[in-house]
Amino acid sequence: MRRHLMILEFALSCLCRRKYKNLALLFAFSLLVFILSSILLLTYALKKEAIEILQGAPEITVQRTVAGRHELIPVEYINKIKTIPGVGKVEPRYWGYYYDPFIGANYTLLGANRDMLRKIEILEGKSFFSEQKGVCIVGKGVAKAYFAEVGDRITIIGADGISYTFKIAGIFKTASDILTNDLIILSNDDIKRLFQIPTGFATDIVVEVYNPEEIETVAEKIKKLFPSTRPITREEILRTYESLFDWRSGMILTMFIAAVVAFVILAWDKATGLSAEERREIGILKAIGWESSDIMELKFWEGFVLSSLSFFTGLIGGYMHVFFFGAPLLSTALKGWSVVFPTLKLTPYVSAYQILVLLFLTVVPYMASTIVPSWKAAMTEPDQVMRG
Amino acid sequence: MTVVLENVTKVYNPGQPNEVWAVKGISLRINKNEAVVLKGPSGSGKTSLLSLIGCMSRPTSGRILISGRDVAKLPERSLTEIRRRTFGFVFQQFNLLKGITVRENIMLPLYPTGLSLTEIKARAEKVMESMRLSKRADFNVEHLSGGEQQRVAIARALINDPEIILADEPTAHLDTKLSEEFLRIIEEIKRSGKTVIIATHDPLVYDSSVVDRVIELRDGMIKETQ
Repeated sequence: MRRHLMILEFALSCLCRRKYKNLALLFAFSLLVFILSSILLLTYALKKEAIEILQGAPEITVQRTVAGRHELIPVEYINKIKTIPGVGKVEPRYWGYYYDPFIGANYTLLGANRDMLRKIEILEGKSFFSEQKGVCIVGKGVAKAYFAEVGDRITIIGADGISYTFKIAGIFKTASDILTNDLIILSNDDIKRLFQIPTGFATDIVVEVYNPEEIETVAEKIKKLFPSTRPITREEILRTYESLFDWRSGMILTMFIAAVVAFVILAWDKATGLSAEERREIGILKAIGWESSDIMELKFWEGFVLSSLSFFTGLIGGYMHVFFFGAPLLSTALKGWSVVFPTLKLTPYVSAYQILVLLFLTVVPYMASTIVPSWKAAMTEPDQVMRG
Repeated sequence: MTVVLENVTKVYNPGQPNEVWAVKGISLRINKNEAVVLKGPSGSGKTSLLSLIGCMSRPTSGRILISGRDVAKLPERSLTEIRRRTFGFVFQQFNLLKGITVRENIMLPLYPTGLSLTEIKARAEKVMESMRLSKRADFNVEHLSGGEQQRVAIARALINDPEIILADEPTAHLDTKLSEEFLRIIEEIKRSGKTVIIATHDPLVYDSSVVDRVIELRDGMIKETQ
């Protein structure tokens, strides 16, 4: 044990000897890990966030399409859907997007129902009765964007060109920031008025299915009953989210492939040869009584200290970048809705598997590049090493 | 501790176009507490012979007996152990590690031995004192003069308390005064009962009274013994 500690101490001393070279290496290595970890952490957190949102989503959302585009759906479909065995509650939903040109952001306006209002956790103010008109509850992001507090009024211009004002009854919180931030909840009547939704129509219909095994069958039956509709299951939305985020992170990773390649070249360059000075030093150590295994251990500690320090610096940097600062360097490319979304505070989800993969892709090649050439030099007779 | 070489040959790059016969069938015996000089021009095989004696390389053929034990066929681990316990090396270029202090350079051979840091430091202090290096202990070696660097190299060779000191062209980079100082140190080492083997072509060294025997080499063979 003492022997290992002494070799470790000397390894630290060796790292200090080549201060500038090692600092430059530490910087490059940390930067690479910072970029890669930022992408991986952000993608994973967004995916988890999306999944969490969808946990509360209805089992099936039925939309009507005309010429392949989303259209309003007749509310009368509900009665027929209710007759399908295994179906629970079937309700119309009224919602839409609203772009506020003064703030330059998109919001989601959603008609309230009793169940939804019961589930929402109010941070400030209070909720409202689902039929109450002229009032709303808003997400934190919306309140912040309007500089509004409970009791203030916000103005929304309707599809008929008329300005409607709504009193903010409360600011709410849900499971995820993605939901809370850009959402304004109004009564269904207000939504219909704002978007000029004709009577007897809704934006879509949500269907509760008791048994998860039957979701696909119910969706097929709805499609058969109403061929112009598109029943979207929760699983489909989840898969779409996953592939969307995977595609986006893949795109960013491809952009940074150059950095990865540069790192691999650096590692390869190190792996294929030692400098004359390094070879000479290995020869000296062998000549004064160090075994090959001692030299390997010394090089292991050098590589281990440098790569772990860089890895954790980069990883902590990436974590702070994503979860404390909202990933400003990647948000436009990866989040995609930055215009819609004034601020984003992600819940820090970290996948141990991804961290291990990152560790394997960065620390292991570097360690190998440090040890392999030293092993080759250490296996040679010391006088050969010193003669070059 | 005696060193015996029996018909030792060393060939570098055997079978290659750049094959070199550095040592050709040398046999010799060096007794305990003897000061021997291996003399000869560049390329005569002095350094190669010193490397072979010091277990830094293996002979192509022949036997090297250290206290009666043939070391030529020992595994690497055992050779290292012998190198560590038996020999102290003083190299021509001093071969100190730049960027670390005098104390650290001297302590280097003891790091992998498992001794405690306190013990290692105590030994380093003792040997630095004997080499008059205590005041330079925390200096980085590259900031020392040639003579001081050599004293550091000798201190490093002595820290293991080896029985045999091997020195390769130790005065090559020293002026006369420093060379004489080196010989005084060698005299002290010899007086402490150690064996000293020096490879040199410096007359100041091989003509010195401290030297018991001079073995002259040429083209990898012993030409003469005085």
